[in-house]
Amino acid sequence: MNPQKGNILIVDDEKGLRLGTQRLLEEEGYVVSAAENGTEGLRYGTQNEYDVAVIDLKMPDIDGLDVLKEIKRVHPNTVCFIATAFASYDTAVQSTRLGAFGYIQKPFSTEEFIYQIEQGIKQRNLILAAERLAIEREQNLLELASEKSRLNAIIKSISEGVLVININGEVGYYNYAALKLLNITNINIGENILGNLPSQIVELVEKIYSSDKILLKSFTTEFVSNKGDELYIEAACTPIPQPDGSLAGVVIILSNITEYRRIEIIKNQFVSMVAHELKTPLAAVQGSLNIILDKSITLTEEKEEDYIKRSTYRLKSLTDLVNDLLDISRMELKTKQREIVNVHIENVIASTLQMLELEISKKHLTINKKIQKDLPVIKADINEITRIVTNLLSNAIKYNREKGEIIIEVTCTSNFLSLKIQDTGVGMKPDEKVKLFTEFYRAKNEKTRGINGTGLGLSIVKRIVDSYYGRIDVESEFGVGSTFLINLPINHN
Amino acid sequence: MALIAIIDDDPDILDASSLVLKSKGYDVMTANNPNDGYKIVKEKKPDLIILDVMMDEPDDGFYLAQKFRKEGIKIPILMYTSVSKAIGLDFGKSEMVPVDDFVEKPISPEELIQKVEKLMNIKEAK
Repeated sequence: MNPQKGNILIVDDEKGLRLGTQRLLEEEGYVVSAAENGTEGLRYGTQNEYDVAVIDLKMPDIDGLDVLKEIKRVHPNTVCFIATAFASYDTAVQSTRLGAFGYIQKPFSTEEFIYQIEQGIKQRNLILAAERLAIEREQNLLELASEKSRLNAIIKSISEGVLVININGEVGYYNYAALKLLNITNINIGENILGNLPSQIVELVEKIYSSDKILLKSFTTEFVSNKGDELYIEAACTPIPQPDGSLAGVVIILSNITEYRRIEIIKNQFVSMVAHELKTPLAAVQGSLNIILDKSITLTEEKEEDYIKRSTYRLKSLTDLVNDLLDISRMELKTKQREIVNVHIENVIASTLQMLELEISKKHLTINKKIQKDLPVIKADINEITRIVTNLLSNAIKYNREKGEIIIEVTCTSNFLSLKIQDTGVGMKPDEKVKLFTEFYRAKNEKTRGINGTGLGLSIVKRIVDSYYGRIDVESEFGVGSTFLINLPINHN
Repeated sequence: MALIAIIDDDPDILDASSLVLKSKGYDVMTANNPNDGYKIVKEKKPDLIILDVMMDEPDDGFYLAQKFRKEGIKIPILMYTSVSKAIGLDFGKSEMVPVDDFVEKPISPEELIQKVEKLMNIKEAK
């Protein structure tokens, strides 16, 4: 007996036939339920899903067609036969319309009956296979749909604009960034967009459409989109080929390059400032040498020596400038590895003061040190910390008045070490203070004339302080003096 | 003898230029910033102005030249430039830059004298 062969329901009020067919089918390996009337058959057939049901048409309680109808309603995949002795064309039509698979004419031979049941089982297997396929297909479609919507969500959310047009210039796809970057409020799929695109893009698209063969590369162009602020947009147009090699359309990727443009401008300004700063001392030196060499100009020996001294001095300041520039370049490129050590700021201050001793005494300055006891060490590159202290102190000397004062104060809180350097010098006007940390900015006014510098000192200080996540502040009053305050985080590890 | 005003913030350039021009017999006065330059030109009415393109601020030499022209001061101006030409700003004489000629730094005494004499001759011819 093979229980896998199928579950069969027999509904017949005729006991002999019912038991006979049941025994027959069980011998064939089927599992059989037998119902003795319409009510029982209806209950069996709806509570369980049978592979095949054989329903007698004429029963005393419920008509076989009603039982068929109800079973098919609950289990549409159960293959149903109507068995009857009173076969008529009408009932045959009616029962197939209600979902019966076949018609078994009573009386029937065992072979005939078995054959019909086998056909029913085959049908049942076909139905189940079809259903499985349908479910699989539906799942695939669902996956496909979610894949598609996922891809859609990705393209919709990127900040680059995406616009796909066919060879007629009609829109096949776009994302919101494209609307924004093209400064267009609305695009309809299928609408011809060429008239609304910047001429630079249209030119490229036309070039791609008119070329003989499809070049699988991007063509880029730039345009300015005006929407409040000026936006610099780069558009990359790439041909989309069909499987047969012909051209389907073009995909246009739009990127906002305004920020790159801004950086480019700053860089160019910086380069021309550097060039100017380098050329100024060179021009002065060359001017002096030209005079010394010019035979039509007669110089006293004293005057000649003066020109050579001045030239030497200018060359020294040129060297300082180049060194400052190299420092900045190293910081930008991060090529120099930091050597992090325990730095005692009080030692750095002491050695820097010693180095600047000559300048301090030349101006007859008083140094007033207020350094808190038991300062913690900071983990830093000692050369960088020395650079901060040197640049601030040499400014405090250079911009100080004769017989002025410099107050150096170091304190600490639980997280920060504070270094305060106060001078009694020329001070700054409010508009000068704003530009203080800009490269090459030097406060130029009646009080600062004759003071030399590269214009990079404070910009270097700020870069170093920033790189340690520290903070630099400045207070200043024109003609009174300036105070620089630096807070460096103390590394507790 | 003709009087020349030199306005430049670089003391070495002022000194060298003065020396070159004095050696040719010109009288020279100098200023090291635009404000003082404006003052000496108004007071002494020189025959020629030599003006650096960049002093306290980039381009402030331009503005000073424009200011002179706006106030009807027609004294010829010879402008010292530094890197402007090299970075592609090859400006000629225009309303924006109302000067008569340019000398690119570093200054060669020969070129300076030649350009100064040329402008002086034009002035005298007028």
